[in-house]
Amino acid sequence: MSAATRPAGGRHSPCRVGGVLFAPVIMLAAVIMLASAAGARAQAPVYDPIEPVNRAIFSFNRVIDGLILDPAQQMYGYAVPEPAKTGFRNFLSNLTSPITFLNDLLQGERERAGVTLGRFMINSTLGFFGVFDFASVVGMDEPHTEDLGQTLGVYGIGSGPYLVLPILGPSSTRDAFGFVVTTLALDPVTYIMSDDAALATRIVSGVDTRYQLDPALDDLERNSLDLYASTRTIYLQKREAEIRNGAPVTDDANYEDIFNEEFEESLE
Amino acid sequence: MKRERPDPAGSPLPLNRRIVLAGIATLPLALRAKAARAAGASEDFINEIGDQALDVLRRDELSKEEKLVVIKDLLDRYTDLDLLAKLVLGRYWRTASAGERDAYVQVFRELVMKTMADRLHEYGGETFEIVGSREINDRDSLVATNILRPSGAPPIQVEWRVRQYDDGQRIIDVVAEGISLVVTQRSEVGDIVASDGMDGLIEIMRKRLDHDPGTTGG
Repeated sequence: MSAATRPAGGRHSPCRVGGVLFAPVIMLAAVIMLASAAGARAQAPVYDPIEPVNRAIFSFNRVIDGLILDPAQQMYGYAVPEPAKTGFRNFLSNLTSPITFLNDLLQGERERAGVTLGRFMINSTLGFFGVFDFASVVGMDEPHTEDLGQTLGVYGIGSGPYLVLPILGPSSTRDAFGFVVTTLALDPVTYIMSDDAALATRIVSGVDTRYQLDPALDDLERNSLDLYASTRTIYLQKREAEIRNGAPVTDDANYEDIFNEEFEESLE
Repeated sequence: MKRERPDPAGSPLPLNRRIVLAGIATLPLALRAKAARAAGASEDFINEIGDQALDVLRRDELSKEEKLVVIKDLLDRYTDLDLLAKLVLGRYWRTASAGERDAYVQVFRELVMKTMADRLHEYGGETFEIVGSREINDRDSLVATNILRPSGAPPIQVEWRVRQYDDGQRIIDVVAEGISLVVTQRSEVGDIVASDGMDGLIEIMRKRLDHDPGTTGG
């Protein structure tokens, strides 16, 4: 089991550090991203120039997972009743949906923005501060999430060098940048909660995410030939799928290249 | 279309007669599927495989081994495993020797079958529905399905890339929630070949084959 296999989703940070500490990180990320982003979407699907460093952090994350995160998610799975888990997920999903709303707008997705806003209004009131997903009960569209990394992807910015973040797991330069900016400047959790409460919320959220991913991680660990490589490609593919917003994988030129006739013939 | 259906309670027909009858009854279906490449032929194909697989998985009277035989047969018949193996190896296929290719395809097939065997017990009452399909080019289609979970959790979106051959259709990729089987395996395999060569890859795959799934994982 691996913490490292857990995608570093924008809302699932188990750590909150003071903004001052993060500022240099943002600057650095911005520089790396801008330096590498130009035309990067056309590059090969996997770009991992600092693989040795990433592999080291990946191994570190696996140790942390075995010692802390995996036992924590097992306890969480056992001790917390399902309705409480669902309620917590709904609450947090609703609380952070303004991030999705903002990114819907930035992506020019007016219809999806409308869904996000409508759900937020209904669930924040009738859904008792978001604990109940009343919007789904009355037949509104299923919720979706958007983050800044996805918006940048929609703008044509490539993922840049692949990164494995300590504790947080797989990311990319673009997505890490988006994540840091979102956490510091946009995340309602940062604004409406005390530092301690925000930290606690993010830890529980991290454990919950790990809990939900556990069967998939188990399967991956059993069947992967190289866990680091499979985690990397799965993260990158998943992000591309999220950026496509439901459009089929065949819209991806890199994907179609694999099945390209000339290419196949060269394999004869 | 009228189908001959033997009375399930004490059928008067011997088993082989029933199979023949079933074959005759489904023949028009098969012909139609072959004639009409367009308009949902690939959807019918996926639907048919799904129904056959679910039918086996749901039959409690069958042992795990008996189920496995049927599922492996479905997999072998309706999936182009040789092409999958080739696509997964990608550009390294070109430089591999004939012996390496044979050894690799062999262990690839065995590994797919083993993975299927390991996963068989995970079936927990899921069903599926066809969402739609699109033609990608003159030989490939993409069929979108939802895997519906009995818990009522959100469905898992799975897309099937189906290729039309002269003798029928076969699956050549599975894309679950945007994650393609071919792309994923290609990435793993490419890394290994780049660092350990074909021998190293075949060795690692063989080791995984001998590995008891019960000893790893949470």
